[in-house]
This record gives sequence, C-alpha cells and structure tokens, in this order.
Amino acid sequence: MPKDGSVKSTKSSNTEYASISKQWADAKAVKQLEATQSEDSVELSRRAAASLKQAEILFTVKQGLLMTWFAILVLLHVLGLYLFTSGFLLTRMVLDDTSNCTAPPVALESKLSLGNSQTGCWHPKSFDKAVVIIIDALRYDFTVPYQAPEYNLNEPPRHYHDALTVLYETAVQSPENAVLLPFIADPPTTTLQRIKGLTTGTLPTFIEAGSNFAGEAIEEDNLIAQLRTANRSVVHIGDDTWHALFPGYFNAELTKPYDSLNVWDLHTVDTGVITHLLPLMQPANASRWDFLIGHLLGVDHAGHRYGPDHAAMADKLRQMDRFLRDVIAQVDERTLLVVMGDHGMDSKGDHGGESDDEVQAALWMYSKKPFFGRRKGTDMRPPMTAKERAVGQIDLVPTLSLLLGLPIPFNNLGAPIFEAFAGRLGTNWENLSRVYRLAGAQIARYMGEYAAVRKLESTNRKQYDMATTLWGSRTDKRGSSDPWEIIHTAYWLYQKETLKLCKSLWAQFDVTSMVSGITVLALTLGVLLVYSRSIPGNLADLSPLLVRRAGIGLVLGVAAGFGVNAMLQSSSWLGMMALSTAIGGLLGSVWGLIPSAPSMSLPIPRSIFSWISVIFTLALSIGFASNSYTIWEDRILLFFLTTLSILFCAASLRQENVVDRAYGCYHSILFGVLTRLASFSRLCREEQMPYCESTYYSSSSSSTIAAWQLLIPVAIAFALPGIIKQYHQNTQSYHHSAVLWYGFAFRSALWLSAVFWLLNTADDHAWLSTYISESTMKTTKVMLAQTALGIAIAVGYSIYAWSAPFLSITTSTPTANSPPIAGLANVHGTRYLPLLTIYLAPILLLQKPLGAGTTALLAWQILALLELLSTLNLASPIGPTTLALLASFHYFTTGHTATLSSLQWDAAFIPLHTIRQPFSAILIALNTLGPHILCALAVPLIPLWRAAPREKGLMGKVAGAVGVHVAVYATWALATCLWAMWLRRHLMLFRVFCPRFLLAGVTLVGVDVVVVLAALGGLRWWGLSVGGVLGFPD
Amino acid sequence: MATATTPFPKVDIRPVSSLDSDASRLYTHIHPLLLLSTYLLQFKEIVADPESALASMLIPLVVLQLLYNVVCLPPVGSPTAKPSTTKSIGKKKPGGPVGAPISKRITTSLLASIVTILIGTPILTTLLILFGAPLTTHFRHTVLCAAHISLLAGLPLTYVHGIEMESWRRISALMLPIDEVFGAAVGTILGAWLGAIPIPLDWDREWQKWPVTIVTGAYIGWAVGKIAGRYLLHGKIIDLSG
Repeated sequence: MPKDGSVKSTKSSNTEYASISKQWADAKAVKQLEATQSEDSVELSRRAAASLKQAEILFTVKQGLLMTWFAILVLLHVLGLYLFTSGFLLTRMVLDDTSNCTAPPVALESKLSLGNSQTGCWHPKSFDKAVVIIIDALRYDFTVPYQAPEYNLNEPPRHYHDALTVLYETAVQSPENAVLLPFIADPPTTTLQRIKGLTTGTLPTFIEAGSNFAGEAIEEDNLIAQLRTANRSVVHIGDDTWHALFPGYFNAELTKPYDSLNVWDLHTVDTGVITHLLPLMQPANASRWDFLIGHLLGVDHAGHRYGPDHAAMADKLRQMDRFLRDVIAQVDERTLLVVMGDHGMDSKGDHGGESDDEVQAALWMYSKKPFFGRRKGTDMRPPMTAKERAVGQIDLVPTLSLLLGLPIPFNNLGAPIFEAFAGRLGTNWENLSRVYRLAGAQIARYMGEYAAVRKLESTNRKQYDMATTLWGSRTDKRGSSDPWEIIHTAYWLYQKETLKLCKSLWAQFDVTSMVSGITVLALTLGVLLVYSRSIPGNLADLSPLLVRRAGIGLVLGVAAGFGVNAMLQSSSWLGMMALSTAIGGLLGSVWGLIPSAPSMSLPIPRSIFSWISVIFTLALSIGFASNSYTIWEDRILLFFLTTLSILFCAASLRQENVVDRAYGCYHSILFGVLTRLASFSRLCREEQMPYCESTYYSSSSSSTIAAWQLLIPVAIAFALPGIIKQYHQNTQSYHHSAVLWYGFAFRSALWLSAVFWLLNTADDHAWLSTYISESTMKTTKVMLAQTALGIAIAVGYSIYAWSAPFLSITTSTPTANSPPIAGLANVHGTRYLPLLTIYLAPILLLQKPLGAGTTALLAWQILALLELLSTLNLASPIGPTTLALLASFHYFTTGHTATLSSLQWDAAFIPLHTIRQPFSAILIALNTLGPHILCALAVPLIPLWRAAPREKGLMGKVAGAVGVHVAVYATWALATCLWAMWLRRHLMLFRVFCPRFLLAGVTLVGVDVVVVLAALGGLRWWGLSVGGVLGFPD
Repeated sequence: MATATTPFPKVDIRPVSSLDSDASRLYTHIHPLLLLSTYLLQFKEIVADPESALASMLIPLVVLQLLYNVVCLPPVGSPTAKPSTTKSIGKKKPGGPVGAPISKRITTSLLASIVTILIGTPILTTLLILFGAPLTTHFRHTVLCAAHISLLAGLPLTYVHGIEMESWRRISALMLPIDEVFGAAVGTILGAWLGAIPIPLDWDREWQKWPVTIVTGAYIGWAVGKIAGRYLLHGKIIDLSG
C-alpha cells in the first residue's frame, strides 16, 4: 500500500501549527498595516491579494474539471445501462382501446343485427354460456394414451400416463362433440403471465409500458372485461391469481378464491373447486351464471412437490378424470365446456421457462350438440404428440369471443381455432373466412393503432391488403377450389405473419444490445479502476487532459453515430447512437490516461484491507447470480460489516499508542454494535419467510407504524446533534457556525420531524379527530414537513456556503501541547461535514420512524468509521468500499427490499398535498436511496477527516476515494446485468434477478449523480472557505 | 512490525514449539485425527438434534484438548529453548521445552479450560450474535457453538499464553507469529466464518440448520490451521496494515 507520509491523527506536528498561527498573525498585522501604511504597502498587499485570487480561481477550475470528469463517467454509466436495459426490458405499449360490440373492425356483410350481444356482436353466437376449467400444468402427454417411444418400445409408462383418459376418449368416440388439441403457451410459462395471455390474446412482455408497477390488474381489453360489458355473470372458483388480475370482475356471491401459493398443499384448492363448481352446473343454478371459471392447482402442486412421475400425480390425474366426467354429465346443450392446461411442466415438475415440456399444454373443447369438425384429410383422432396440429393459447381468445357472440378483445393477436368454426364436416369455408376476416381486421386495427402510438411504420399491411382484395372480389372468381378457402388462407397467413413479427418485437431479448451495454459498463469500470487505483501522484491534475480528450471522444462518437445511422438506416437509432457515443467517450478517456501510463501500476490489492475490499465487493457480485444470496443480501451485508469491525478492532489493538488503541477499539466495537442494532429493523421479502420476522411496520399486513416507534424521532432530535457535537469537540472544532447549524437549525429540523411523525400517527389512529379536523391536520403536517425541509436545505446550504472554517483562537497562551488555534486538527473534515447533515435532516424526515432511527445510526457509524480510518491511517480502498457496503446494508434497514413492491410511495406525500413533479420524484429518491446518498456524500470525508491543515494533494485523494466508491457500485451493476442476461430464462428472473438489476442500476446512477452534484460540487465551498485561511487545496 | 518500544510488560512473542518428546511428536498428529473423527461420528446426531448432540460432544472435545495440551504443549511460563533466530520455516525446529512437570501441565490445562469456558464462551456468543446469529431464538444453540469454537481455538491458547492482558492483546490483534496453536485458533475462526456461506442456500438440507455449518467449519478450519501453522506458515506474521 502506498502510504502517504503525512500523519493524519491528533499527533500532527506542532511546528506546523506554529507556522500557521504565525501566518495568521502576520496576515492580521498586514491588515492593520494596510489601514495605516502608505500607498507602497497598499500596492504590495494588492499584489498578495491578486495572487490569492489567482489561487482561488485555480482551485475552482480544478474542482469544476473534476466534477466534469466524473460527469463524463456518469454519462458512460447511463449509456451502458440504457443499452443493456433496451435489450433486456423489451417494452410493449399497452393500448387502452377496447373493442366495442357495435363497432366491428370491418363492415359486416351478414344479416345479423349489429351490436346485439344476445345474438352475437360481430358474428352469430354459437353458445350462450361457457364453463372453462383450467387444470394448472396439464401437459399434453398427460391426456393422450401412452405410446412407447420408437427408440425403446419396451419402455414402461410413467405415473402420469393413462390416468386422465376422459379427454382423449370423448374426442375419439364422438369427434363432433369433443376435440382435443395441443395448446402451446407463450413463455414465460408462469400462471400469472398465462392468465394474461389466455384472456387478452396478446403476448406477454415483462414490463409493460403504461402499466402500473404497484398493481397487477390487467389494463388491456380482455375476455373477462368484454363479458362484464355484455352484462354476463362471470363466476370464478379456484386460484386467487385471477382476483389480483381482475379485481371486482367476478360475481361476488358465487366466486370462491383460494390461496395459490402453498405448493405443498395438493388438495385444498381442488376440493374447493370440485365442491363449489358441480352444484352450479345443476339446472336449478344454471341461470345464475354465464361464464364459469374453475382453476384447479393440484396437478401443478403435485408436480412442484413430487415431480410428474410420482404416484401422487397419478392420483391427482385420476381425480381430475372423475371430476371432468361429472362435469360432462351435467353440461347442457347451450353451454360450451373447455378444459385446458395453462402450461406444462418440466421433468422436475417446475415451469416458467420455454422448454417443450413447459409450453405444451392441452386444450379440450366439448359441446353436447354436435359442433366440431376436422380439416379434411386429417385424422379424426387427436394428435398423439404436441408437435401436430397445435394451436396457440392466444387462439382461445378470439375463439371464445366469437362463439359466445362477444367482440374480439382489442389487443388480440390469436386466430380462431379451425375445429370450432369449420362445421361438422370441416368444410364450412365461408364461416371460417368470416371469422378469420374479423380476427384479421381486428389485428390490423390494433397494429395500426400500435404503430401510430409508437410512431412506427405501419407494418405487414401487404398481406392484409391482399386478403381484403380477395374478399372483395370473392363472388367474381369461381375456380377449381372453393374461393372461401383461399380467403381463409390469406387471412390465416396474415395472422401468422403478424404474430411472428410481434414475437420478434416483444418476446425476445436483444442479446446484441445487452452485450454492448455490458461491454460499455465493463470498460467504464476498467477506466475507473485504473484512474483511481493505478496512478501515483495527484489525480486532480489529470482532469484537464481527461476532460478534454474524453470530451473530444464523446463528440466524435456522436458524429460517428449520426454517420452510421445515416448509412445503415438501422432500426434502433437511439441504441446505435448510445453505443457510438459510449465508445467515443471510452476511447477518449483511455487516450487521456495514456500519458500517465509509464508510472502506472496494476490495480491489484497489496494489503489485507485492499484484498478485503475486493473480496467483499466480488463476493456480493458473485452472490447475485444465486437467488438465495440475492434474497438474503441484508444478512450477508451484516456479516461483512461485522467482519470489518472485527478487523478494525484487531488493527486498532496493534497501535502502540495507548490512546489511539483505546480510541480505535472503541470505535470499532461501536461500529459493529450499531450495525447489529440497525439490523433488527427489517422488512422481509416473501422468499425469506418463514426465517425472517418483519419489524418495520406494526404488523405484517399493515404499513402503519407501532406507537412506541414515535419515541425514535424524539430520541434522534435529542441525541443526534449531541453526538455530532462530540465528534467536533474531539478536535476542538465546535465553533460559531457549527453551533448555529448543529445546535440550533439542524436540531430544530429534527424536532419538527419528530412532531410531524407524532401528528401523523395521531392522524392514522384518529387520536385527535375530535379536536382537529382532517384537513387542518393535513395542512399542519405538510407545513411542519415543509418547514423542516426548508430549514435543512435553505439554512443549511447558506451556512455551508458562507461559513468560515470552524477555527478559533484560544485565549490561553499557546503551549507546546495546545496549539493557539483550536480546531485545526480537523479543519477540513468539519468544514465539509455540514454538507452531509444538510441531506441527513430531510432523509430523517422522509423515512418512517424506525428507518429514521437506523439512518441516524448510519450517521453515527459514518463518524465512527471516519475516526477509525484516520487513527488507523488506512489509505486503502477499504474506506470507500465500507461506505458502499454500509449504504447497501441500510437500504434494507430502512424498510426496503430488492423488489419493486417495497418502494415507499407515501414518502412523496409527507411534505406535499398532491403529486408535484419533480418534487415527488426527488422525495421518493431521498426515501429510497437515503443511505446511498449519505454514504456517497461521506466519501470525500475519508481523505479530509483529520487531514493535516496543509496536506498536499487533497483534491486528488478525494478523486481517488470517490472513484473507488463509484467503482464498487459499478461492479455490482455490471454483475447484476451479467447475471440477468445469463439467467434470462431462469424461473426467478423477474422475481429476483431483474429487480436486483434494476436496484443496482438505479443506485449506480443515483450515487453517480450525488457524487458529482452534491459531493464534488459541494467541495467548492469547502475549498473556498478553507483556502482563504490555509491556502487553496490542490 | 515495530515491536521494540512497547511500554508494556515483555511477553514472549516467539512461535510456540511443541514439547520435545516422542509422545508429543506422535500425539500432535493423532490429535486432529481423533478429534475430527469423533466429530464425524457425532455428525448425524448433531444434524438431527444440534442442541443435545453439541452439548454431549463438549466432553470428548475438552478431554482431547486437555490431553493435547498436556502431552504436546508447554504451559504458560515454562522456560523455552533458544529461539530460532532464522525464520524457522524449514523442518529443523529447535527442541521444544520439556521442563514443566506433568503436574503443572495438568493444573494449568484444567485452569485454562475453566477460563476458556467462563470467559471465552460469552465473548464468542456475543460475536456470533453480532455476526447475525438469532438473538431471541436458538440462544442455546449459539452458546454451544461459541463453546465449541472457544474450546477449539482458545483452550490451547490460554494454556500456552496464560491470561496476561498483553498476550491477549497480541492474540486479538493477530500479531503473534503463526505456530500450531495460534494457526489452529485463526483457522478455527476462519473456518467458522466460512461455515456461514452455505446457510442461505435454498437446498433444504438438514445440515444447513443453525449452527451445524459454523461448528463444522470451525472443526475443519481448526485442523487445517493447526497443520498449516506447524509447517507451512510457521513463524509468519499477519500483516494488517492498510
């Protein structure tokens, strides 16, 4: 470890104090002289002032350039993350349009009365009612007779074979009444996404632009919504996922939801469905519903628990067989019966991915009256494998809609199922053409609307226009084949091509884009590491060259982007632009680093503490590839931080000076104990159950706080300013502005937020409702919060900007042990510290009381860590790394988890009545990233804390520390991107890996912005203030 | 490391050598085998019922560690042979002390075990809780885990180095040169630390339960550290400077 020669502890040489105090005295003398002396000396002092002014300008330029250089790094991070995200989170615009019974997509040429859902909206209806039974995870091969594979004719059947036979049996015995087909799911094969597909008829993408993160309710036009619009009574029994998706859509009286998450329970849901569904099928109850959904989970749960090849699965399938036979016996002629699997299961019984076993479900439709046909020339029997005559799951949507006389949902991309419209002979090409024309026209209408909203060129019109032409000229042509058949084929082709197009647009990851994003992030990380860890000398001196060359690179990159786009006419204009800009910026940065190359050393760790920084950062990064370690990240961070406090303690015990030793041990132990104390504040994520107990809210099903927690803000207001004061008094730095800020303004802000939370809880529990009206209460609360914020930001920044350094001339005569100027030992650290507390006060207000408590502990821990690092003289990357670990740890202690649902939206309403951008967004950011913001602001303090008054190269050391801190977050962001791409087919992708990637990306950018604007930007006032007395930092 | 100007009472900071007797040379190798195989034999019970199995395992652990102390190690305060001035990494070790009478070795050893249990266990329990061990539940598991770690790591250390504050400052500061006693202690702690790694995994194995992995890691780390301390890393000093 290259250790700098300066001594940063209290033991600074007294000669330096003497020289500084002499200089101060001299300066005072000069001032006095100035007043009395002749013009000569005025000239002299004017020259001195000019050189001081010059030094000041030099400092501000240096500081500005450092900000600019880090801003370039921010830009590179943003570009990298943008490139990755655009390939990873493919978005599909959700259109709110709904299909209307009276507004078919094309003019109808039949005699049916338009817009009458009694006879049929767009097409005459065939059934009045329908019963849809979903057997979760019903794989196609569960329903057809066992056939030994050709390669091994002696292979015995498995447990899941030949247990559920009714579907195949009926389809063979009476093909006009029953049809059994393979039913192909679009991945992801999770029940929630499948239900979306089965009701909207569109392809699932994971993040749907326009949809609300907080709620899961389907916003798109769908079958259930159409049923409700048509005043049909929809009853649902079984898996409660439906209720999250369609809140309030079901007949409240008859509907029976069951918890879907307990995969160990094979029977509760099934028994519930069977006992409640069969009575509804009785003729007596037939008028109480029009659309009956039964969703059984036993087969799926048996798969999850035991795998498909298990006796329990056979039992389950036989139970389903009996149940279905009962249903068939009950169903009447007006009712369509549909049985299906929403997805399959793999050999272990799990699903979610897109392997054949997972997507191949079964679909069986049944009607008491002869209704179904088969395509001429094909086997009347159901296909023996899922490879033949398969239909897509989205095809069910137009099929059911038209059979029940409803309009096709607006976003549907599926095609009507042939067998349901071909007539009993399978030759009713006219009917097929009509329904395919309707479906095709609706798809064309949707595609046109989608293209208009997304400002895309209208796609794939050619095939549609051709089909329309054929339709228009159908009467003129009488060729060898049926003209209706040709029309049907034309519309069918159109639907197929459009679906393929949409799949390529939405349902695939853009690996090129992801890889280019990862590359940009990796190279930026390399530049950052070389910059902050490889270069000896003052890093701040490099900024002019780096900024110039990286700037040139960026400009050239933008120009190249325009050029490439003009030449290639590529479809992803923005992506290409981002990539070329990033490459330009990276090449420019490398070019800017080249002059330093001869003196560079490899950025590899050279001491135990450096190694630990690297190991802990990488250990977390590697852990993000595992869902377990991602889920338990809060505990892992606790473990790492405790390890650090133990090592700090061991290192402190090595100190020869007894005072240093005791001081170091005390702060190490304090750091560890505070960490553990904060760790008791938890909000568990679902996956941590049952090994985790949430303490953040008063109970697991509420988001209000427990009453005792109100003591926390009071305790903070009472104690925190005192703790901060103590850390000033250690170095005799608690003077004038420091007293004004910590002792008065900061403390008042804390008291105000304590009162705010008191009123807020009183409001929640209606304690004062008899005395104060609700609106008065709200106004009072908002006013309190706004005052607290105003004090913190306005007063805080004024004091921070205009204050002199916290120095004072002691009245006593100077001796060797007490220098004449008090506060010199930590003049840099204390002068910068108010900046951190300016942000601390609002963050304390915006957290829930328990979160405020842990945030206050965080502030204390930061101070303890700074004292530790300076007594131990640790110049290794351990300081900035510990701060990053600490920030991540306190993200969890402030009631957040790496899931979208843990965002605390209500923080936006603490100082505001309604949503007001950009303030609401900033408030949410302060709530969510509070610990990250505080720790990022604390990074410059690592070199500044107890720095010698005239330490050389302070700016360079700050740049190095900030560089390491950002590099830690950049490593985590890079790792989560890498894993998200690598595991993009993983079952847990959108539960675990994607949210963690989003969190890492957001924290990286957030920390970047805080570092540049608040931390490096704030250095300006520190430097100007300290520089006037001690000479400007370099 | 600057050690010359310490104002504290002088303590012996040379690596400890085991006793220079045939029994010592033999048993120091048999001891880890015996202890580990005892643990292995108990492993099934420990997984099935950590609380009672770990408690009953304490007895063979204490007995074997006492035996090891008495047979192989010089008790605190015994005169040592001339220190090796060269870095003693080679096989040629200076003959260890043989002086201390067996009665002193036994009494020192017994005293050390009492001190270890009474002082070491609470300290390690606190540490385990700081590292994230449950506070409100499984407390007895945690105490037993701490007892195992402190008997593995602390008993020979106390026997060899006594209860001098300065010695323990150096031990806690990891300042001692590595020998088989200190190596075993560091190995135990490291092993217990690494033992936490499998806990969060969703493998649903019985042996993942608290504190089986920690104790297992401690035992393995103890054996590895003991052997490495005697041979591979003998005489080395851990560098903790930043």
